[in-house]
Amino acid sequence: MAQEPADVLIVGAGASGGVVALRLAQAGFRVVCLEQGDWHDRADYRGPELDWELTMRKQWSTSPTVRGLPEDYPLDETNADVSPLMFNAVGGSMLIFAGAWPRMLPSDFRVRSLDGIADDWPLTYEELLPYYERSDRDFGVSGMGGDPAYPPGGEDPPLPPLPIGRGGLKVARAHTRLGWHWWPEPNSILSAPYDGRRACVQRGTCQQGCNEGAKASTDLTHWPKATALGARLVTGARVRRLETDAAGLATGATWLDHEGAEHFEPARVVVVAANAIGSARLLLLSAGPGHPDGLANSSGLVGKRLMMHPFANVGGLFDEDLESWQGQFGCSIESFEFYETDERRGFVRGAKWGLAPTFGPINAALPSRAGTQVWGPDHHLHVRAHLGRGANWGLFGEDLPDETNRVTLSSTLTDSSGIPAPEVHYRVSENSRRLLDFHIERASESLVEAGAYKVEVDRLMRYSGWHLLGTARMGEDPETSVLDRWHRTHDVPNLYVVDGSSFVTSAGVNPTSSICALALRAADHMVETRFEQQVPA
Amino acid sequence: MSQPPITPGLDPLTAFDPPARATLAAVADHLIPAAHGMPSAADVVGDARLRFVLLARPDLLEPLRAALRPGVGDDAATRLAALEGDEPESLAALLQAVVFGYYTDKGVRDLLGYPGQEAKQLYSWKVPDFIEEGLTDQVLARGPVWRDPATGRRAERP
Repeated sequence: MAQEPADVLIVGAGASGGVVALRLAQAGFRVVCLEQGDWHDRADYRGPELDWELTMRKQWSTSPTVRGLPEDYPLDETNADVSPLMFNAVGGSMLIFAGAWPRMLPSDFRVRSLDGIADDWPLTYEELLPYYERSDRDFGVSGMGGDPAYPPGGEDPPLPPLPIGRGGLKVARAHTRLGWHWWPEPNSILSAPYDGRRACVQRGTCQQGCNEGAKASTDLTHWPKATALGARLVTGARVRRLETDAAGLATGATWLDHEGAEHFEPARVVVVAANAIGSARLLLLSAGPGHPDGLANSSGLVGKRLMMHPFANVGGLFDEDLESWQGQFGCSIESFEFYETDERRGFVRGAKWGLAPTFGPINAALPSRAGTQVWGPDHHLHVRAHLGRGANWGLFGEDLPDETNRVTLSSTLTDSSGIPAPEVHYRVSENSRRLLDFHIERASESLVEAGAYKVEVDRLMRYSGWHLLGTARMGEDPETSVLDRWHRTHDVPNLYVVDGSSFVTSAGVNPTSSICALALRAADHMVETRFEQQVPA
Repeated sequence: MSQPPITPGLDPLTAFDPPARATLAAVADHLIPAAHGMPSAADVVGDARLRFVLLARPDLLEPLRAALRPGVGDDAATRLAALEGDEPESLAALLQAVVFGYYTDKGVRDLLGYPGQEAKQLYSWKVPDFIEEGLTDQVLARGPVWRDPATGRRAERP
């Protein structure tokens, strides 16, 4: 007997996949999700253990290339200035993300209109605002309303802000003296117990998994609820390609299990949620006679316009002990003082700053961010100067879309199943370099005003591609975009892409809150239009 | 002379013969000597610490053996210089083995006043210092920061 197709098949159980699964399950859809990773037990995370700073550089690296776990796929990064970072598991890259949860700003949706470059989004900040608010409640966001970097009105975050720490307080006071914007950073990390989850304990190990479950990830916030409503989540399921029928509609996915056995999961609607590299790879892998350049790729834009937010780290060293190895990682405070375009600076757009902790003694000795190694007798002075006495501004510069920054299929590299790996082509633009230079200077002034006696700079961190965006952009015109304003592909009416691939421009903020708000909006639309949805016969 | 073979499942220290361990001690002392009230890494990174490092990071075993093989430089300094030029992966493994071993030692951490990553109770009901000091009030007093797409300029005060 033929297998009954799912109402909706989701590929990827990370941030956007989890959001869509829960919303559709709540509406009574029969949901199936295929995820190549597995569930993780947070008791196994290494934060409280002696090997935390050892394993963060290998088994718990944010880079799949460094980690090399069986569920990871390799990336050909030969032609990339920045390494893409991700995690394959239920909860996806949220397991290893920092938890910073800022929203995009109104101008981010109107880059073409305001600055004459890139493109406008097919929606506005105001249209997305209700979804940001719902998403904040679903994930449990800590923060403080009234930030003058955003339009007034709307709901405050459901929980009060997390502590800003001694370093954050010093820098906040400095910005008050300078007359510069700062505000407590919103984080999807609980400042108090919420929805059955425990509060943050300030361990500072957020990027290697949160032992408390205080940092939001959909394995905690969405999937248990979705599966309780009947959603079926299949782990260890590596999707090889999406299938289509003669009418050009998606019919499901062919996937491989741990043993390499092939399966087919039929579906009426397919939702791709595998991040901007994985989703582009899958659409390209799904080429067929009617679509030789990849599925949903009549525009030729699948895989193109990859944006990753060129990132600089500016660290200040202080005379006093700030205990800066502790605190959410996540950010304590943010600044949007120089976020908006000022053409006198010699570039367009800007960057959001977020102040972060500084790790433990091993990072003081072998810095993964700004700083140097010192050996011999002075090694001890160097480590003492860095351990607990730093404050790091992380600068996320807006990355303008460029079709030469792209994901293609490697002709030489494959994953452990023999499926072609993604090849990443990514160069940092002249605009981005000027932008970072300017912001590095201003962030250095911020730290000096705060009392730093020395400032150390990493001008472009190699392992900083946390934010994967833009490889299947939204738009009104099928010739210049892959998705419509509801994340449905222009070419295949029952195929959606709901992750960061949809971004038209990158903004200059951590994108996960926007990815989740957009996915919730897309899912709402699927529910509202369920009876008009075209499906295979 | 070749080093002992690597046998999966066995104590990783069996992969290092006495000359390799002596070389490791010399390099450790060169990188992190006793000074400023801190001990030498040669004294700290003994069997227990090295075993801990290699069990936590088995990927370091092979490049560390390569870094410690005979004939790479006459002393610790020339060995490190040779590896830096020709074998960056071996050098990275050597530096990591020494640093990981040293800074996971309880005595070293105590001397630094570093207790590890601790769990601390949050008191989210407490009014934060930055509000008590009026710092956010001053941010608000300066007015909106966002750019209004309708005008293209910084938004006006509501």
